[in-house]
Amino acid sequence: MFVCLCTGTTSHVVNEVVANGAKTSKQIADACGAGGDCGRCRRTLRAMIEAHYAGRASEAVSR
Amino acid sequence: MSEYDLHSLILACDFRVDDVDQMWKWLNKHREPLASIGAHHVVLYTSIWEPGRVLVTIGIRQAGSIRDVLRSPAIFEWFNISGADDIPPIFGGEVVEKIDLDGPSPEGHVGRVVVGVMASVDDVASVMDKVHDGLERFKSGGVRKIWVYQALDDGREVMILQEIDDELSARQWIDHPDAAAEWMSGAGFGAYPTQFVGRFAHLMSIGERV
Repeated sequence: MFVCLCTGTTSHVVNEVVANGAKTSKQIADACGAGGDCGRCRRTLRAMIEAHYAGRASEAVSR
Repeated sequence: MSEYDLHSLILACDFRVDDVDQMWKWLNKHREPLASIGAHHVVLYTSIWEPGRVLVTIGIRQAGSIRDVLRSPAIFEWFNISGADDIPPIFGGEVVEKIDLDGPSPEGHVGRVVVGVMASVDDVASVMDKVHDGLERFKSGGVRKIWVYQALDDGREVMILQEIDDELSARQWIDHPDAAAEWMSGAGFGAYPTQFVGRFAHLMSIGERV
């Protein structure tokens, strides 16, 4: 999915940035540019952050 | 799903609009910008259960630079006129296969329900093998067409449009999808929208590039 149209950044790239520790949309923008221009994709970025940490939490519970 | 000519490249977007009819009128008046980005067909599906939610697919001639297309003023203006403050993620992909379980239907065919899912799968080729193995089960579940697209930017990402007999069959399919339809569980996670359930609303053909 192309999540940031301004920079052409894909969800694949954003997921990597989040996996490397980004926890806010600003940190994502600093790392890859997504969300740093018009900012209209930040809701999606936040959803991706939440999904990542929700996934990690459920993994931890299932261990 | 209409039977317009098979296009291999597609942009697809699931979002909410203030006024679906107004957006469609605007798109009709702005064919030239769409043609300038290489669009040849625009298809609009409207949600059955969520007023204002739409799924729009745009057939594109050249994959050359999808990023340039997405950055074009025409795309931003489209979201502006739709009243979308947030710009939704856009799927950009190419067709893997279009499976028709029930013979071709006339252009502009309406009535059936379309279930659209964008999701990540483990392996697209493996998914297609399972789909082919389960076609009879799909058919008995009311599925009439299965259109599979694979993302250009992520080889594990797919968009799958299924045409289903009616709303009841669609609901049963969503509640109890076939085990082969592993994409059904990936919807609504992260950047992916939840499952879209709607009907074909409009088709617009766009002329040769101007």
